[in-house]
Amino acid sequence: MKYVAIIRQVPDGESKIRVDGGKVDLAGTTMILDQMDEYAVEEIIRLKEQHDGEAVVVAFGPERTEEAMRTALAMGADRGVLITAEGYVDPITQAAALAKVIGEEAPDVVFTGGQQADWDSQALGPAVAEALGWPSITWTTAFELEDGHAKATHDLDEGGEVVRVALPALFTTQQGLNEPRYPTLPGIMKAKKKEIKKIAAADLGVSGSKVEIVEQQIMELERKQKMIDGTKDPAAAAAELIKLLHEEAKVL
Amino acid sequence: MALDFSLTEEQKQLQQLARRFAREQVAPVAAENDEKARVPWELVEQLYEIGLLNISIPEEAGGLGLGLVEEVIIGEELGWADMGFYTIPMASELGIAPILIAGSEEQKKRFLGPLTERPALAAFALSEPGNGSDAAALRTRAVRDGDHYVINGTKMWISNGKEADFNVVFATFDPALRHKGVIAIVVENDREGVSFNKIHGKMGQRAAPTYEIVYDEVRVPVENRLGDEGAGFKIAMLTLDKTRIPVAAGSVGVARRALDEAARYSLEREAFGRPIADFQAIQFKLANMKIGLETARIYTLYAAWLADRDDPRHISASAVAKAYASEIAFEAANEAIQVLGGYGYVSDFPVEKLLRDVKLNQIYEGTNEIQRIIIARDILKALR
Amino acid sequence: MILVVLDHDGGKLRKSALEGITRARKLAESLGGEVAGLVVGPGAESAAEEARNYVSKVYLVSGPDWETYTAEKWAKAAHAAAQAAGARVVVAPASRTGRSWTARLAYKLDAALLEDTLDSWAEGEKVFATKYSFLNRVLEKQAAALPVVVSVKPNTTPLAEPAGAGAVENLSVELGELERKVEVLEKIVESGGKVSLTEADVVVTGGRGMGSAEAFGMIEEFADLLGGAVGATRAVIDAGWRPYSEQIGQTGKTVQPTIYFALALSGAVQHQAGMNKSKVVVAVNKDPDAPVFKEADYGVVGDIHQVLPAMIEEVKKLKSA
Repeated sequence: MKYVAIIRQVPDGESKIRVDGGKVDLAGTTMILDQMDEYAVEEIIRLKEQHDGEAVVVAFGPERTEEAMRTALAMGADRGVLITAEGYVDPITQAAALAKVIGEEAPDVVFTGGQQADWDSQALGPAVAEALGWPSITWTTAFELEDGHAKATHDLDEGGEVVRVALPALFTTQQGLNEPRYPTLPGIMKAKKKEIKKIAAADLGVSGSKVEIVEQQIMELERKQKMIDGTKDPAAAAAELIKLLHEEAKVL
Repeated sequence: MALDFSLTEEQKQLQQLARRFAREQVAPVAAENDEKARVPWELVEQLYEIGLLNISIPEEAGGLGLGLVEEVIIGEELGWADMGFYTIPMASELGIAPILIAGSEEQKKRFLGPLTERPALAAFALSEPGNGSDAAALRTRAVRDGDHYVINGTKMWISNGKEADFNVVFATFDPALRHKGVIAIVVENDREGVSFNKIHGKMGQRAAPTYEIVYDEVRVPVENRLGDEGAGFKIAMLTLDKTRIPVAAGSVGVARRALDEAARYSLEREAFGRPIADFQAIQFKLANMKIGLETARIYTLYAAWLADRDDPRHISASAVAKAYASEIAFEAANEAIQVLGGYGYVSDFPVEKLLRDVKLNQIYEGTNEIQRIIIARDILKALR
Repeated sequence: MILVVLDHDGGKLRKSALEGITRARKLAESLGGEVAGLVVGPGAESAAEEARNYVSKVYLVSGPDWETYTAEKWAKAAHAAAQAAGARVVVAPASRTGRSWTARLAYKLDAALLEDTLDSWAEGEKVFATKYSFLNRVLEKQAAALPVVVSVKPNTTPLAEPAGAGAVENLSVELGELERKVEVLEKIVESGGKVSLTEADVVVTGGRGMGSAEAFGMIEEFADLLGGAVGATRAVIDAGWRPYSEQIGQTGKTVQPTIYFALALSGAVQHQAGMNKSKVVVAVNKDPDAPVFKEADYGVVGDIHQVLPAMIEEVKKLKSA
């Protein structure tokens, strides 16, 4: 059996994002394995522990993505394949390259995070599934491997559903699916010897990007920060709040 | 081309792991564990699970066989989150070090192997109620009786103490011989005659367990002695020459925390119509904290690098690092309280604890006065 | 032709459909061509009847194969309609399901995907759009050549007014092997909230400071009064008081309501990412130094168990006035 997780390297949520010359400048920013993708990595490691087989991580990104891949290997994945390309490449374009690599790996199931913390996109998983000709299930919160099938619980727009899916298939992950383990120090040392194969996207016939990022700017809404003391007279404070929302903000 | 100030890939990942664990698991419970003087065993267990506990245990005994540079990387991160908590794994490495320095291969496997199989701690028992700095004046007696020693005496200020599997005890078989009459011997905590009194009312580092240990007619096999009779004092000194380096790392972590808290607060707090970060008085305090912590960090790593190579310069370098880092950290914590003003003085905010915690870094593992004696000795030795 | 896929609730067009029509019309103005709509699934016939008042043609895909949603099916239907319409632009809602099947559609069409857009327009033969990125902290302007799939972020666009009368055309779309690989075993109805979090105009989120699962009864009452949805922080989910589907934040949902109430929560960066684009933020917390107050327009310092009931009373008063 073979299980694949598609991962992405993104800025640490605690980092401050800087813009230089109309584009986000990540120089000096701490980069990490995306938290949402961690659920995917944890799931393939669990499946390997429960059912045997190989847990492989795949990524599309610049060279430094290797660091995030090492984190996944330190968590317990067996090996990695990194498709390298510099600069922004949209998810639909990436999907073509990822599908080539994953198609060759021929896993039984693929996981990836429901959304990543830099491009704020939910598209990669379903696009890769389409490129592979596989079904995709998004926002999975429970997963069970059965014979040639998987049973999964996932979110829709309202509520959720339980599905049975014929494998191979792709699932996007979120909190609730599992509790990702920390990498361990012995894991970090073992990961040093694990294989990360690198392939240039161009060598897979994939280049450029269908979408161009024209401009980026920091968008932080200025907040009024108007404070009301409700410690002595909560009722009066509530009255004042509702009044302000009605008369000043005009939202009630 | 040799000079290279960068960490290896694995060291960077180690740092990221330690930082994340510190931020997510240790920091959120630091205030509560301090207030309740509670030993967070669940954190010790987690530290074990992720492989950051007792990393110096050699591979032959089932450990990772890592060095002081790795301990320093971990130390700064855990010190940032809670110096009290960090003293727990730090003191465990302190208990392991004598065995690495003077233990036989058989002893290393026997004592250290079990520490790799489950979350467990070691400890180092040198100080006594009547002597700390004057280590050679120790009074705990070890009397040879056939193939055993009988240990009698009291040890004081022992970090981990009862929480450990064993304490490496320094005892004298002949007080007249002073430092030449000392043995280092591993005494398991479950031997008959060993009793513990937890020390209460500590100013800081209250998550760290500190004990008075009473050894009353405790029989310990000769096989537990590390090195030869008479080598004990040397073993203690060789140990501290190295293990004071992680103390410096913890101090650097505290200093960094002080700077983080003070800098952030200064941007949020307004006075006279602007953030206090705009005022030079505040800016100078932040800059001084930075000057201290950057120099302490580099020097601590340098001392660790020397120690890992058994370069003799590590003896003085570790003393410099230990003294300097604890002093700049105390200053940084003090100034952080000043920046936060009234809020710096109350336990709702994390900075007053930094001062209470890091004060101990100037005292334990060799007082900063003793560190200066070591440094001076090294200066003068070259000239005599 | 611009194709707009219209979400409906068992036959009644959703708000998102009317937002999509506005966007499609704007693009049609610049790029030329007309706007066609697509309705799929149970109730599509009624939805088509409503939709024909907005677009020049409505494609209708329905039948026993189309009773339940899967991403593969909806992507196939949209693909078939796009081909039938000769559409080089497809507009769709950026709901969770929308963002899932539009990605598949974009791949099928070898099209650029402009996802979860705040606005979209054409210049020459290129389509431009704005969206948020980096956990909602960066505003990004994107550009793509045709063909393009544009998904529309809820609550960003004025609702279209009816205009004209279009024809309805049944589109027969055969399911292939791929579209039969997912079997829906069970539907899980959301306990608690009745309004969709991502579409709600008002969101009321409770944090760990609420103290218990029972205390969320007050939050539900307040949300109901305002016609809003209930949200929760990660801490609340971890404590088992509310379901995952209500989580707002970096690993949960992102919302952008007109009013966001942040009640008894401290305001961690991961939570902020999920709501920092709300129009008006109201925070209530007993700790005057809680970070959430820095991110709020109105903050009340006080005990939530006293302030919230008072707020409920005040809203009731306001409503009856």
